Amino acid sequence: MRRLATIAGLVGLLTLGNQAWAEQLTVALSTPEIRIGSNFSGVPVTVFGVIEPDAQSASHVGKYEIATLVLGPPESVVARRKDRILGVWANSASEIFLGAPSFYAADSTGEIADLADAEILKRMRLGFDNIGFTYRDRVGRDNPGAAEFREAFLRIKVKEGLYTEQAGGVGMIGKSIFRTTVWIPANAPIGFYQVSVFLLADGELIARAGDSFTIAKTGSEQFLFNFSRNEAFIYGVVCVAMALFIGWLAGVIFRRD
Amino acid sequence: MSTRRSNSIRRSPVLIYLPIAEISVNMLIIVGMGGAVGFLSGLFGIGGGFLLTPLLIFSGIPPVISVATVASQIVASSASGALSYWRRNMIDVKLAAVLLIAGVGGSGIGITVFGALRRLGQLDLIISLAYVTFLGLVGGLMLTESVRAILNAKRGRPAPLRRPGQHIWIHGLPFKMRFKRSKLYVSAVPIVVLGFGIGFLGTLLGIGGGFIMVPALIYLLRVPTNLVIGTSLIYIVGTMSMATILHAMSSQAVDFVLALILMIGGVVGAQFGARIGQNLRGDHLRALLALLILGVGVRFLGGLVTIPDELFSLTVLEGLLP
Repeated sequence: MRRLATIAGLVGLLTLGNQAWAEQLTVALSTPEIRIGSNFSGVPVTVFGVIEPDAQSASHVGKYEIATLVLGPPESVVARRKDRILGVWANSASEIFLGAPSFYAADSTGEIADLADAEILKRMRLGFDNIGFTYRDRVGRDNPGAAEFREAFLRIKVKEGLYTEQAGGVGMIGKSIFRTTVWIPANAPIGFYQVSVFLLADGELIARAGDSFTIAKTGSEQFLFNFSRNEAFIYGVVCVAMALFIGWLAGVIFRRD
Repeated sequence: MSTRRSNSIRRSPVLIYLPIAEISVNMLIIVGMGGAVGFLSGLFGIGGGFLLTPLLIFSGIPPVISVATVASQIVASSASGALSYWRRNMIDVKLAAVLLIAGVGGSGIGITVFGALRRLGQLDLIISLAYVTFLGLVGGLMLTESVRAILNAKRGRPAPLRRPGQHIWIHGLPFKMRFKRSKLYVSAVPIVVLGFGIGFLGTLLGIGGGFIMVPALIYLLRVPTNLVIGTSLIYIVGTMSMATILHAMSSQAVDFVLALILMIGGVVGAQFGARIGQNLRGDHLRALLALLILGVGVRFLGGLVTIPDELFSLTVLEGLLP
């Protein structure tokens, strides 16, 4: 634990430069790996940690604020808009998002906008407005030309439970222990999930720490998925063989003649 | 813009995770759908793909997964019937072979078109349009025919019989082939077109195509009715096996777990349907089936013309960059 804290502190120092604040953040997760089995229907992940004021230097005067950010593996997504064409609603205009987080959960002790000024929030990618999307056919981040697609993207992701913001989601236990719970829904993509924790006070970022977890299929789910991807032809033949077998079996069991 | 998130553990024994679709579904609902469609297919003597694929799509399973997985389910539901007709020697093997060779070709083109439409983002639209067209056409024809039959029966008039052996345009076509079992000497052109077309549609739409194949064999090719069902079933088992393998290789969307649940529900449901179907009159059955087909078609049409709740959709690009 002590060593982890030192590492976290070091990471914090490196990212912050030579600032005077000496608080250290230690972070831990309830699980390093989420395993998807046949009954997987989503699972909570708890992020908790400790703020350790350094005894040697004066600790910060203001109230501590904590923000946590969980980012799923980046993915490229095409967003399509339906328009009425010859009386029928059909996909027409589209926009391709490059490397957008497949999962996004921002939790904080208070309203995100009150934590720090816009510039700092943007750097932390904290809050839906600060994720910073890039598009294949547009220049720069959050190009205003794709605004309606960006809004639609966020709306759909929120509806699917893959994008969440929880102001007040991070709870403090005493002065220095914090925790929050992030719900990982069943449709969360598999892969590497990055967890970042930010310690703020008086609108300033004074420490940060990170951790990660993975979501992986296990058992037959993993076997079937890999089988279908690596040996697609044989997988297809096996599906057909299963179908023929069940058809034959049904004929034997329910034979009427 | 704060959203509520449920932190409770929502674990229920009926939820099952589909490894290829990557979603968790209620197993009872899927078994129920497989069973209900199986029941109807037993009742009406149809494959049921054109009901099962739409049901899965309407219940929120992605169309790609629905089409690819139902292809394998159709193999299971047609196999027991095909086997039983085979045992009773009620199949024209040569005719089935010609149909099947063309069907495999159609299936191959079908999978190419399927992939291209998916890249363009127009797969859902084309599936809906095709369902509206075919279900509307077949349902409309069946309904008029069966209503006429019912009215005729009420008035005590015998149904007007179409005389087999009449000379129609099909007999003027070249490349004639002899089919001894069916006592037919007909051009291979309509057979190839039929086999190819249904193989193509079946792969694209997740249907076996029995509801097109059976009337076509009876009315167009004049195949003896006792051979029609068996020959059609063998053909469907063949093309849908091909479609399953092609979908597994190209769209990678055949979900083994979903297929297994659907198959079990389907074969059991079919047994009950077949028993009840024996006690119903043919023209009444056809009228009911026609209404069902039209209903599904209207549902697709509604989805196309009414303003969608969400105008936008997201698709993760997995080697799908257009």
